Amino acid sequence: MTTATAPAVLGGDFEVRKALRGGLLAGTIAVFISAIGMVETFNERLIVDPILSLGYAALLWIPVLFGYRVSKRLALEGMEAPKVGAGNVIAGALLGATGGAIVGAFVLLVDAVNVRSTLINVTPAMIDLLAFGASVVVGALLLVVVGGALGALGGSFHLINPRVRSSVLTGVSWMVLFAFTELVFGDIFGTNGLDWLWLDRLMYGSGRGLTIGAAGVVFLAAVLVSLRFKGRVRGTVARFQALPENKRRSRGLYLGAGMLVAGLVLPSVFGSYLNEVLASVGLFMLMGIGLNVVVGFAGLLDLGYVAFFAVGAYTTAVLTSPLSPNVAPQMAFFEALPFVLLMAAIAGLIVGTPVIRMRGDYLAIVTLAFGEIARLIFQADWLSGTFGGAQGILQIGKGSIHTLFGYVVVAIGVVGLIIGFLRWREGRRLDREGGAAHLPGNSTPGMGITIMAGSAGAIAFGLLFPSFATWTVTGIDSEAVFRMVLMFVAIAGYVSWRLQESRVGRAWMAMREDEQVAESMGINVVTAKLLAFVIGAMLASLGGALFAVKIGTIFPSSFKIVQSIIILVIVIVGGMGSLRGVAIGALVLIGILGGPTQTGLLREFQEYKLLLYGAILVYMMLQRPEGLLPSSRRTRELHQEEFLQDAWIKTQEGAAAVAEVEAEEAET
Amino acid sequence: MPLLEIRGLAKQFGGLQALAGVDFSIDEGEIVSVIGPNGAGKTTFFNTISGMYPPDTGEILFEGEDIAGLTPDRIAKRGIARTFQNVRLFPNMTVLENIMVAQHCRTSKGVFAALFRTPAFQREEAEIRQRAVDVLGFFGTRLTGYRFEQPAFALSYANRRRLEIARAMATQPRLLLLDEPTAGMNPRETRELTGLIGKLRSERGFTIVVIEHDMRVVRDVSDRVFVLDHGTKIAEGSYADISTNEDVITAYLGRPTGEGAA
Repeated sequence: MTTATAPAVLGGDFEVRKALRGGLLAGTIAVFISAIGMVETFNERLIVDPILSLGYAALLWIPVLFGYRVSKRLALEGMEAPKVGAGNVIAGALLGATGGAIVGAFVLLVDAVNVRSTLINVTPAMIDLLAFGASVVVGALLLVVVGGALGALGGSFHLINPRVRSSVLTGVSWMVLFAFTELVFGDIFGTNGLDWLWLDRLMYGSGRGLTIGAAGVVFLAAVLVSLRFKGRVRGTVARFQALPENKRRSRGLYLGAGMLVAGLVLPSVFGSYLNEVLASVGLFMLMGIGLNVVVGFAGLLDLGYVAFFAVGAYTTAVLTSPLSPNVAPQMAFFEALPFVLLMAAIAGLIVGTPVIRMRGDYLAIVTLAFGEIARLIFQADWLSGTFGGAQGILQIGKGSIHTLFGYVVVAIGVVGLIIGFLRWREGRRLDREGGAAHLPGNSTPGMGITIMAGSAGAIAFGLLFPSFATWTVTGIDSEAVFRMVLMFVAIAGYVSWRLQESRVGRAWMAMREDEQVAESMGINVVTAKLLAFVIGAMLASLGGALFAVKIGTIFPSSFKIVQSIIILVIVIVGGMGSLRGVAIGALVLIGILGGPTQTGLLREFQEYKLLLYGAILVYMMLQRPEGLLPSSRRTRELHQEEFLQDAWIKTQEGAAAVAEVEAEEAET
Repeated sequence: MPLLEIRGLAKQFGGLQALAGVDFSIDEGEIVSVIGPNGAGKTTFFNTISGMYPPDTGEILFEGEDIAGLTPDRIAKRGIARTFQNVRLFPNMTVLENIMVAQHCRTSKGVFAALFRTPAFQREEAEIRQRAVDVLGFFGTRLTGYRFEQPAFALSYANRRRLEIARAMATQPRLLLLDEPTAGMNPRETRELTGLIGKLRSERGFTIVVIEHDMRVVRDVSDRVFVLDHGTKIAEGSYADISTNEDVITAYLGRPTGEGAA
């Protein structure tokens, strides 16, 4: 992985100018974070009770990270390993002290001059926090010392064994994660009648953060586990990637099925808070998957994706709510669903048709406008007879979720039975014709029987499910909503996965690469583009329908441009064109930070969410433009030269790994 | 009836008359070279036939039907495939995918078949793959084996040119338009490709129009040579005729002006 490091620093040595420059930057960032009020807001939340609050943590990571980065040198294969020594520590200390001095100067300044008329967050309480509770002068000096010490700590990371270093980092991350998930744990214990264990009280003491003991235990456990298993995880992943295509695919399928089963069972033990958060994650994952079809597969940058989300939500609302003004057929949710999909397809065509001949920036601008137009139409007075204008629509049909869930499972089961039967028949035919021609992904009779058995199980489960669930059906039930969202995500994921590896998916890919050439190779780009828009729109409308029943009330203001942007950020940060990437992107961004109107695990971040989204996006663009879990295609695209260099190494390693796996399988 | 017959083809870009009434025809099974100095309108000639630009006036009759003004994908479907002067592959798709995607217009399975993986869909996918392997096999072992899974950008220049020809073949055309297939290749590669162009006709039965600058290639492959200059035909005939034709020599070398010329 490339990292944007400045020119090489000699091993153990350091450059004064670089350290000072880094300190200036670190100090400025720290001042910015303080001045916008993050420190004070976050101070309410403790990570380790009573030593470290999130507020201080928001500042203290800066000198550590910068102190580490200032003397980091890019080490390439074949180059001499950079020498490490006291110079790394000194550079870090100098950087930290400079940064501390800037924050100290800021404290002195805002103490002397009242700037609250413009920077309302610079409160005396914040100044007091920054000065560590001492007088400003002492505080400023302390800041220099603390900054220097932390910077030195960061710099000294170079001296530790990389493996230990990464384990310590893992330990700290897990500690922070546990501190953040306090509410979740309390909830889980409460939901499952485990209160008597007193585990949550042992872990979280006063209820404001981990106790020192618990923090130590979590940290140590994480460090030990990571030291023990780090290499193995990587090895397993590498072996998995080296597997031949068909094996990789079938194992991925089992993994997905396992996750689906887990997703069906786990919501009952998760507790309402975690279910709520995960339902939001799923909602955005669903739309991320949809947008990924449009942007990642077909390469059409659609910034007005929220329009389809709105169409889905409003169609559901009008059809199911008894309070929708003009038309109120009061359908059940699942009866409304086909109409939702139909309306979304029409909306996809309406948006898609005029922008067929547009590319790149122009397409983005026009779709951006369509997103706003959709919101304005739903808000408009002249349609308020149908859509309720600014008052929105209330009492959207709910409570039928469980019934639908059962129906969906049964429907999937029936389809599965048919598919299983067809595969079984096809597999038999292939066997008769001589099994030698089995291509990856082709049917075998066993596969068909497995699918049929699974489907039969699904039908049984779906038929029995409503009776399982009768005791929970009231109003908004986060557990049911989450299950529901999960089903839709699974469907969307399946659709997008299948399409990607089909004739249609290849056509999209070619169109993304070179539209003109794709056209002269016989691909009708008009149909291909419209199809991408329509499928993306239908997936988004499912998201909208779920959103409407989940919230129960919708207003035009729920469908602002920021929704489109956040979905796009999920796709970009996760990895464009990669299904796993979108899933991870939604989990990380929505799960931790929260969506535009949904809370994530870090409720304190609410106010600063968009700032953090921006920061993450910029960071990703600089450091890892292909995203967190990119498709191999996209990685290749963005790192062509490295790919070419590594190509022959990889073929050899890959061959070795395959041989290893095959040897293993031959043994068993 | 000729396979392709063009009458009075004209195309203007602003003040530039790229094609000024070209008449052209090619019979089934022929190989015709189109030559001419830079800016003569050769590539524009290909671009109008393949539908990238609609012609201003003129008729393009393919198998007796006028295809002028159709979109490129429909023309490809009728059976005309082309390569590009500056190689234009789908660089981030693998070698195999490049060929598989080119069969788009000869296959039909859509969204629903893909979602339910119907037996017909699976059969078609297997056929697409098989045909791709078959087409790539035409170039010996150069594009086969581990190269199937390599991205197109990782190929050598000559292999990229070969892959582009393979991609055009995969659309299963009757007429192939090759735009400077040997440009940038070394003499050995050029010789090899010259042989391949002959095989494209003898083994695969394609009718071929080729734009070429290398006169040895022109001599070796073409039944007939068609010379363009300033958007008009200045000569047509066998290689022997063309190589001694006054107008052609003038177009290429320029006419000596003034009395100093002997």
